[in-house]
Amino acid sequence: MNPLIFTTILMTVLLGTMIVMMSSHWLMIWIGFEMNLLAIIPILMKKYNPRTMEASTKYFLTQATASMLLMMAIIINLMHSGQWTIMKVFNPTASIIMTSALAMKLGLTPFHFWVPEVTQGISLTSGLILLTWQKLAPMSILYQISPSINLNILLTMAVLSILVGGWGGLNQTQLRKIMAYSSIAHMGWMTAVLAYNPTLTMLNMLIYIMMTLTMFMLFIHSSSTTTLSLSHTWNKTPLTTTLILITLLSMGGLPPLSGFMPKWMIIQELTKNSSIILPTLMAIMALLNLYFYMRLTYSTSLTMFPSTNNMKMKWQFETKRITLLPPLIVMSSLLLPLTPMLSILD
Amino acid sequence: MLKIIIPTIMLMPLTWLSKKNMIWINTTTYSLLISLISLSLLNQPSNNSLNFSLMFFSDPLSAPLLVLTTWLLPLMLMASQHHLSKEPLTRKKLYITMLTMLQTFLIMTFTATELISFYILFEATLVPTLIIITRWGNQTERLNAGLYFLFYTLMGSLPLLVALISIQNLTGSLNFLLIQYWNQALPDSWSNIFLWLACMMAFMVKMPLYGLHLWLPKAHVEAPIAGSMVLAAILLKLGGYGMLRITTMLNPQTSFMAYPFLMLSLWGMIMTSSICLRQTDLKSLIAYSSVSHMALVIVAVLIQTPWSYMGATALMIAHGLTSSMLFCLANSNYERTHSRTMILARGLQTLLPLMAAWWLLASLTNLALPPSINLIGELFVVMSSFSWSNITIILMGANITITALYSLYMLITTQRGKYTHHINSIKPSFTRENALMALHMTPLLLLSLNPKIILGFTY
Repeated sequence: MNPLIFTTILMTVLLGTMIVMMSSHWLMIWIGFEMNLLAIIPILMKKYNPRTMEASTKYFLTQATASMLLMMAIIINLMHSGQWTIMKVFNPTASIIMTSALAMKLGLTPFHFWVPEVTQGISLTSGLILLTWQKLAPMSILYQISPSINLNILLTMAVLSILVGGWGGLNQTQLRKIMAYSSIAHMGWMTAVLAYNPTLTMLNMLIYIMMTLTMFMLFIHSSSTTTLSLSHTWNKTPLTTTLILITLLSMGGLPPLSGFMPKWMIIQELTKNSSIILPTLMAIMALLNLYFYMRLTYSTSLTMFPSTNNMKMKWQFETKRITLLPPLIVMSSLLLPLTPMLSILD
Repeated sequence: MLKIIIPTIMLMPLTWLSKKNMIWINTTTYSLLISLISLSLLNQPSNNSLNFSLMFFSDPLSAPLLVLTTWLLPLMLMASQHHLSKEPLTRKKLYITMLTMLQTFLIMTFTATELISFYILFEATLVPTLIIITRWGNQTERLNAGLYFLFYTLMGSLPLLVALISIQNLTGSLNFLLIQYWNQALPDSWSNIFLWLACMMAFMVKMPLYGLHLWLPKAHVEAPIAGSMVLAAILLKLGGYGMLRITTMLNPQTSFMAYPFLMLSLWGMIMTSSICLRQTDLKSLIAYSSVSHMALVIVAVLIQTPWSYMGATALMIAHGLTSSMLFCLANSNYERTHSRTMILARGLQTLLPLMAAWWLLASLTNLALPPSINLIGELFVVMSSFSWSNITIILMGANITITALYSLYMLITTQRGKYTHHINSIKPSFTRENALMALHMTPLLLLSLNPKIILGFTY
């Protein structure tokens, strides 16, 4: 589309999220969410075809419902506290409604059904924005209301999300759906620790965004949206197969890569607060995630997948310029020794 | 300790910057030099550990394992030269880099003081091993083998992470040097039973225990030679080392929690030895023999007497060298006939007599012939398990007999008898292969002159 208009729309998306993250008035939060939602619809529909229209419609419906629930929670909060400042939520009903609304925006179970379908219907770049940038705003609100969230609901949603994210991704070959289920599972990890130490939620968010950004950049670089087309990268750029391997193992949470750091910190925080079964269960269910990442690495980097002779000298469009790929890859795999630096967050 | 770790890390730039005709020479030479440095650690003056820093230490248990690890890297490099000779240069360098990375993680694991650091490095050894097995293995089954290997180990070790963090919560520090002085008896409760299980299952899977051993034959058979060597010689010993370290913290639950695992190990060693008698695949036979020997180590560690710890340590070192040598011998067969089936390459004594001598020595040490250190290890374990319960002597005796049976079966099938007519055009043994076998056998035989350096910290 027209670059000027595209820039304006993109800026509106950014502005919407910024407003959500930085305001102290509940109404401004809602306005920020709505601005974000309305502006991202054209970005999701960059290619104009029925699939993207369907995906955008699904996204709009779920997010609009969530915004309305959020508004209702804000009003109930107003009724019970008499003021619009954002601190904790003063009424349990309002807290539950707000948690559900934010869960719908994030894609936590049981509100996760839109994530795979929307992510699949849109282009890779839009999917990137959807799965990384759009998570920032709801997570910041969850961070701010974290003292008053009902622990039962939060932990149930977290554990179910990890389960659904793990099992749902097992039968997928489309890369965008795999990333969607991975996003659901990671959101589950983030919300599990929210009540205990919200700083770790932010840490997990940061590292998750880095790793997802890296994965999407690698997919965009090889223009692949299915496992089969990703398996041809050994032909085109053999180095990216190694990078895909490292990043996928990092997403699966294997030490010594940096994806292990949030999982380790979350398990540590939960165990020190005397909940032992929960982190054990969460860690074991994360292995499901690791299984489908491993399957992806098997077809991409660890075997040279058979391909027809035409594919071996594949004509491709000019090499896409990927911004920041090397620093992102380094950060998404080598950050583990920097874990003691987390003490600066106190 | 950094004088070993940093040179090992620097082996990686050495690989990438070497010229095409110098990579094997450079890496093998420098890794041999590094192994000579690690020999100085065997001089342990007192019963306590040699403390190098807050993060690394070495004690009479970890020093022999460390020496074994560093000794094995040049051997792995020598063994891999043939099957990598046709690969492009970058892939050779990648392979050597994987081996070096694995080596670094292993050295750091064996010398770690802090238990969480031990855990992270323990898990970190999985990634290079997985890449070696899956990328450079030879059959399609290697994919399945890699998955089994990764997931069995991870399922066992994730509860270990939770258990270690909760122990740190209780005692304040996981630094191993401190914990050995703070040791208190664990109170008797259900949650402490689960703590015991969580701590031990990771190492049980790694050893492997009989019921959880499914990953081992797959991984050993499908791995290339260096992968098989390092798996059999070192990675299994990680499980033994971890168990030896962590059982000091887990009293008194071990006295009753150990029973199911003791039963499984005692029965399992007989079962896996018997399976060896029916194997057609040579590498699979050696893999099951590893399970059987490691079951002895599990029995020794769970009994927790000074003699059994000595036996466990000696057996780990001895089995590491023997099993690695057997895999090298099997690989020399595989490189010539491209098949692992035993009966396809029989009667080799007439064609390759010197290799037959190495086969003889390896089989003899595998069946624990006196005065080798294999015998010392097995004998100590048998004696201490006899004192724990008199009936185990029957099972142990049966195991020793069956071990002798399958070792001799392997020797006779591959070496004796008339050779088949399709193998009389195989290449004679390379000097490299003979050197490899000699480098395995010489430490094994020399250690029988002074076994006290490998008898661990209860000597």
